[in-house]
Amino acid sequence: MVNSEGQLFTIEGIAAGLIMLLTAFIVVSTTSIYTPGDTHISDMQLEQLGSDALRMMNTPNTSADSAESALQSIIKNNDTDRFRETFLWFCNNKTGGAYDILQFSTDVYYRKTLTTSVNRFHFTESRKPTGGEHAVRVTEWVQVDNTILAGGSMPAEVDNRVQAVLVEVLLWRD
Amino acid sequence: MARLNDDAQWIVLMGFIVSFSLFFLGIVINQSTVVGQTTAEGVLEFPKNDILDIRSEVLQSSKITVAADFDDVKKDISSIALSRKNAIVSFGVTQAPPGSTYTKIIDIHYNNGVTAYNETANY
Repeated sequence: MVNSEGQLFTIEGIAAGLIMLLTAFIVVSTTSIYTPGDTHISDMQLEQLGSDALRMMNTPNTSADSAESALQSIIKNNDTDRFRETFLWFCNNKTGGAYDILQFSTDVYYRKTLTTSVNRFHFTESRKPTGGEHAVRVTEWVQVDNTILAGGSMPAEVDNRVQAVLVEVLLWRD
Repeated sequence: MARLNDDAQWIVLMGFIVSFSLFFLGIVINQSTVVGQTTAEGVLEFPKNDILDIRSEVLQSSKITVAADFDDVKKDISSIALSRKNAIVSFGVTQAPPGSTYTKIIDIHYNNGVTAYNETANY
């Protein structure tokens, strides 16, 4: 240094430089707004719609202990037609205008006592998935009385007993 | 300013204060986007429908009167939840003490590695 004048100017300069650098950093990092939810919001809506439809089907009409929900009797009687009709009706209904164009494919997961493994059988679908669909997965637990006494007629590989099965629906907009 | 003259020091001080407050407002705006991101992630990861569904199934299972059937259903729920939902589910039903308003006390435990849900329901 030649002499010790202007020290305060130097300090001011450094402080100003730091403030400008910090400001530039904040401005740059603020403009890149990143919300991972953006692309999934339509998926979440479809998921909620499917869940609600299954929940409606799995709600008994009365609160009596013996009351069976529509979904329970559909699974018990292996009534694929009724499932297809009801589920599509719930999903595609609108308050006005044309019906929505949702399609689905359903599997049922159950536990086998003998092998203690979780197996699945294909239940029904409104259209065969090609693999290119952008589908969401919605599920519903169903309690089924598949005993012969109760008239359970699930596919033969399912145990004849009271059991909880998981209904999995792949749901997509065509 | 320094050594030039000593005038207008209040104005310079006010200038500093205003610039610092603008700076802090900038930080607040910057942080708000981060808050939005973490909230969105929290909503996406929270298995609301799974928990509601498990809960309703457990409450329904508690009505089963035959002990062997109840054990079967309990095993069904645990193993299917583990294989299809990657979640550990366990529950137990005990009779409520005599004179209680409720008939059953139901413990539900759910854990999928990210979210843990534990409940003691009077039913």
